[in-house]
Amino acid sequence: MKRVTPMVVMGAATFYFLIPIWWLFVAASKSRSEFTGTTPLWFADFALTDNLGELFAYRDGVFLRWMLNSVVYTGGAALLGTILAAMCGYALAKYRFRGREAIFNVILGGVLVPATALALPLFLIFSRFEATNTFWSVFLPSLVNPFGVYLARIYAGASVPDELLEASRLDGSGEIRTFFTISSRLMFPALVTIFLFHFVAVWNNFLLPLIMLGEERLFPVTLGLYTWNTQVNQLPELRMLVLTGALVSIVPLVIAFLLLQRFWRNGLGSGAIK
Amino acid sequence: MRAPKKALLFFILPFGLLFTAFYLAPILYAIKQSLYRVERTGTFGPAVEVFGGLTQYQRVFADGPFWESIGRVLLFGVVQVPVMLGLALLLALLLDSGLVKGRRFFRLAFFVPYAVPGVVAAIMWGFLYSPSLSPFDAVTGNVDLLSADLVLWSMANVVTWVYVGYNMLIIYSSLLAIPQEVYEAARIDGAGAIRTAWAIKIPLVMPAIVLTTVFSIIGTLQLLAEPQVFRTFSSAVSSTYTPNLTVYSTSSIPNFHLAAAFSVVLALATCLLSFAFLKVTQRGGDK
Amino acid sequence: MRALSVVLVSALALGACSSGGSSENTAASTGCAPSEGNVTLTYTTWIPGIENVVKVWNDKNPNIQVKVQTGPNGNGGTYANFFNQLKAGNAPDLGHIEYDALPSFRVQDGLTNLADCTEVTAAKDQFVDWTWGQVTFGEENAVYGIPQDAGPMALFYRKDLFEKNNIPVPATWDEYAVAAEKVKAAGGYITNFSQSDINQFAGFAWQAGGRWFANDGSKWTVNLQDEATTKVAGYWQGLIDAKLVSAVPPWTTEWDNAYNTGQAWTWTSAVWGANSIMSGAPDTKGKWAVAPMPQWTSGATVAGNWGGSSTAVFKGSKHPYEAAKFALWLNTSEEALTLLNSEAQLYPATKAGAKLPALSEGVEFYGGQKIYDVFATASTQVAPDFVWGPTMTSTYATASDGFKAAVSGNGTLLDALKTTQTKTVENLKSQSIPVAE
Repeated sequence: MKRVTPMVVMGAATFYFLIPIWWLFVAASKSRSEFTGTTPLWFADFALTDNLGELFAYRDGVFLRWMLNSVVYTGGAALLGTILAAMCGYALAKYRFRGREAIFNVILGGVLVPATALALPLFLIFSRFEATNTFWSVFLPSLVNPFGVYLARIYAGASVPDELLEASRLDGSGEIRTFFTISSRLMFPALVTIFLFHFVAVWNNFLLPLIMLGEERLFPVTLGLYTWNTQVNQLPELRMLVLTGALVSIVPLVIAFLLLQRFWRNGLGSGAIK
Repeated sequence: MRAPKKALLFFILPFGLLFTAFYLAPILYAIKQSLYRVERTGTFGPAVEVFGGLTQYQRVFADGPFWESIGRVLLFGVVQVPVMLGLALLLALLLDSGLVKGRRFFRLAFFVPYAVPGVVAAIMWGFLYSPSLSPFDAVTGNVDLLSADLVLWSMANVVTWVYVGYNMLIIYSSLLAIPQEVYEAARIDGAGAIRTAWAIKIPLVMPAIVLTTVFSIIGTLQLLAEPQVFRTFSSAVSSTYTPNLTVYSTSSIPNFHLAAAFSVVLALATCLLSFAFLKVTQRGGDK
Repeated sequence: MRALSVVLVSALALGACSSGGSSENTAASTGCAPSEGNVTLTYTTWIPGIENVVKVWNDKNPNIQVKVQTGPNGNGGTYANFFNQLKAGNAPDLGHIEYDALPSFRVQDGLTNLADCTEVTAAKDQFVDWTWGQVTFGEENAVYGIPQDAGPMALFYRKDLFEKNNIPVPATWDEYAVAAEKVKAAGGYITNFSQSDINQFAGFAWQAGGRWFANDGSKWTVNLQDEATTKVAGYWQGLIDAKLVSAVPPWTTEWDNAYNTGQAWTWTSAVWGANSIMSGAPDTKGKWAVAPMPQWTSGATVAGNWGGSSTAVFKGSKHPYEAAKFALWLNTSEEALTLLNSEAQLYPATKAGAKLPALSEGVEFYGGQKIYDVFATASTQVAPDFVWGPTMTSTYATASDGFKAAVSGNGTLLDALKTTQTKTVENLKSQSIPVAE
């Protein structure tokens, strides 16, 4: 096959995926009147810095606070959540015990329930402990990632040979130590994948913070932008802030991806789905 | 391997406890809710919760718009899921084929839409679809992409745009796991890139494709953010357009009991479909 | 095994708190005695810039501190949060609730009756009559919130275009329909029919004498197809059929654009609409003017209302006296009203509020016209006996589904009202709210 066709396909796909992002970038660089009055895909007076300045200064820089919150919620939850999911998936893959399949199926079943249905019960649980409107009310539920357990089980099954575990057992290494020193290393590229998916899922989740939080200083960036967007009727000048904010909110994810991408360079080899 | 009890508890308990507290308990509570109804006296009398058996479920099954919306998302899924996964597979194969330069760039480019929150993505595409503000006004000026006939597919495009990169990554990572030796034989046979892809790669990544399909089916049945945003700028999207939107609007009345019954039925339908799909593919694999 | 017991414990915990939430309360008012010692109140609202208003209060009242919580607008999620919080028994002391949502909270037994607070009942005369009706539902010895802002309606129109084309400013709806044809001939639309925001239509029906809901204490009556509402629906259906109005979805950039480019010439809207036009259609500065809302009978002086909200004290608040005191200050004192108006363009619900300096000046965007005088008059012309139903979210949703269909040529506005009537009655029944067939 010639090299031209694949490159054309890739080029077309790139165009499709990036043109809306380009549009957002251009839109965020415009003033409000230029936004409706000028060509949508090219710059008018380049006012991105003005818009950014306005965004970061609005209401004492609350937007920056939201970004920071998002990074903390998301980074923390994805890191811890990945470890928890890895441990659970690893145990489900490597040890035989009674009720293993039952546990696994119940965990998978968790994915089936619409998040809208869990909203009220979750709120009631945290109310019980007077913990609504706190950091924990968003952070703790975000740790749970059933999909991560599923992936970890498959990855662990594929990349951690039983013989290795037997060997380290004979060496007198405890199961837990083996996991952290040997198995997790073998699973590492897979864990990066789980981490990335978890990171994006938590970053994008706004239903949970919407239900739990009333204190603006605790909002993650998605909820903040959503809140502004519902106020556009009342304060139309917020529209440009929402657009600029949306653009800025993508940046940390792109950075996370770029940082994690190098773990894939040599292939996911050991840790892929089989 | 046999399980040493202590280690097992250490591995499973942390996740298990959180899962129980934030998934299982809420689910059980929702099921309980769905079996209750309220009673009150007078126009503003306080509500008393009483056991109602299957009253809410009778309402669910008598609710025409709800079943219409299930039909709608099924139609959506039948068309959108194959298109999205086909595209994801094609791009993953191309990335893996060695015929393409700049792999890292493309990987990033395809992944970026997934980084855009669903709500924001829908708002953005709303602008791109709008008749007068769209950069593609040659199209949107002549065809109303937000009309009753087309809006479902306009939404399908948004979902496709966001999730192709995600699914591609799953398939791609599975392609990378295929050991090089497998290809050696093919190379000796003189098989071309297309043949190698068709005869070797696709069968080997089938599990990944099945996985992404199941998750896409679940995602389709639970569509919420896109129709919710599209409601604000398309006259064709009703408050019961998708099953999950029905759950949402019912619970904001607030009619918690009916909303819970809707979600239980929705979860069961999702379970049934994913399970049916898995069965069908497994039978196919047995041959 | 252990996991199982955790499940059971969690489920029991849930069961316990769900029954605690709603059973013990009764409809009787709870008294209004001042609390001892220092009090901290929580107040949830989505008014932009509210912190600056509350700060003024907090500086002056060290014993009654108010803590602001925020979120999206009511139907965007904050109402749903209120309902959850009421069920959990941890609602804030005070909440921002629009008039049309107030009955839903009353039905969920979520509001504290402030009728025992003498300061509250004494303040009655400070408010424009109809706003007081919105928070008492016409009941005796009942006050379920302090009126905050109002949305009396008037006609915004493009003065320049009407003059240039020699079209007289319509004073009646008949004249408005005639003007619509002339506007169409001149290449524009007289207005944009609000298909998905049913509140505007409700304002029209309110003006025409439509009364959608009534409640006699033992059951509700739903009347979305009364004579007046049918008349209004028929009128707009006529304009839609003749393609004299556009139907861009409201509150979109597309919609702003229709006004900014002179495609739509009038907008019958509430007082806060003045700001919507200013920011949505900046290129039309100086070209707009405001006239009273067109009338159904020549020479009549009736206005409709679109929007407006109240500050309510939730059930379970331990400090109703202090909460009511703050709510009264927030919604009657000149300093608070002035700030609310400058921060968030709220139009006060008090009689004195209509005379705020900011609301007595000419507005440059409207060619220097003292537009707020028109609204101040309109506010006194709104009928006081319009009652909202207890499930407005679903009533709006059904109506807007039907209206949207009608604009796309699928059925009529009357069909939509008929469906909404049936669906609303169904909804009330499914919540065991007594309703007359």
